[in-house]
Amino acid sequence: MSYKIAVIGEPETVAGMSLTGVTYSHIHSNAEASLSKLEEFLNNSEIGLIIVTHSVAEGLGFEFRKIMRQKGPLPVILRIPDKTGRTPKYDELSEMIKRTVGAEIIVKKGGA
Amino acid sequence: MATTTTIAPTRMELMKLRRRISLAQKGHDLLKEKMDALVMEFFNVLGRIQDARGKSLQQLSNAHRALTKCLALTGTLETLEAARETRRGAQIEISTRFIMGIQVPTVEAGKIERGALERGYDVLLTSSSLDDAAREFEGALKLLVELAELEASAYALAGELEKTKRRVNALEYIIIPGLKAALKFILMRLDEMERENFTRLKRIKAMLEERG
Repeated sequence: MSYKIAVIGEPETVAGMSLTGVTYSHIHSNAEASLSKLEEFLNNSEIGLIIVTHSVAEGLGFEFRKIMRQKGPLPVILRIPDKTGRTPKYDELSEMIKRTVGAEIIVKKGGA
Repeated sequence: MATTTTIAPTRMELMKLRRRISLAQKGHDLLKEKMDALVMEFFNVLGRIQDARGKSLQQLSNAHRALTKCLALTGTLETLEAARETRRGAQIEISTRFIMGIQVPTVEAGKIERGALERGYDVLLTSSSLDDAAREFEGALKLLVELAELEASAYALAGELEKTKRRVNALEYIIIPGLKAALKFILMRLDEMERENFTRLKRIKAMLEERG
């Protein structure tokens, strides 16, 4: 199946992604608007990938995590750093490893 | 154990318990094997994520640098205008596959990289720095799509792993010990009943001998 891509982020990220031909975009200004847009993207069956910047995801906070937990396998939601390259200190992936494996595991570069 | 107080100490119950314990043990072993396989798969994906993340984030920061340069050279308005005019054709192919019975998406980037003329903005009104920025972003998007697949797989695997682990632990630390305790209770109880019976018979025998 062919799917389209959506992006939610600050103007620079949206502009850059628009240059690549991403179909749907939303410039983040406040949490409510972005949240409703995100739900709209989630319900749109032709979107397969939603790109959200970390800062927006953090701004949405609990609601975003709830969406991440409740959604099915599609669409895929990917969080990327914004133009400042900011990534959250709290790494969900390593937190997930801690919870599932029971020990913190640091994956070295170049494979596990 | 709560189970010990409600169980009837009979041979029938003992047989049933033995059967249940062996079933629980078998289930536990199977789940444990599944968990081990999942952990292996999970770490395999994690290793690839680390690589993909490094590469795509590097490319993304390159792209942002090119875009910033373009914003400075051609002006913010013109650049954003061009971005809005760009043809919106990016498509990705998503299918799902199964790892150990878990649905995991496979994402493949379609044709994302384009030539300057295919992008749809006016080439005459924009500078080559916009082309650079667009090219860099296209490269970044391609890598990000790969990363998205891996991260989605990791999340799906981790969810399943957690579920399996909870089941294994429930069997290992609660259900099997509970059943074993019940088994022990019945065995003790049956032994005790036998001893009681034995002394009763002895006593009756002694009484009969006294009378006779």
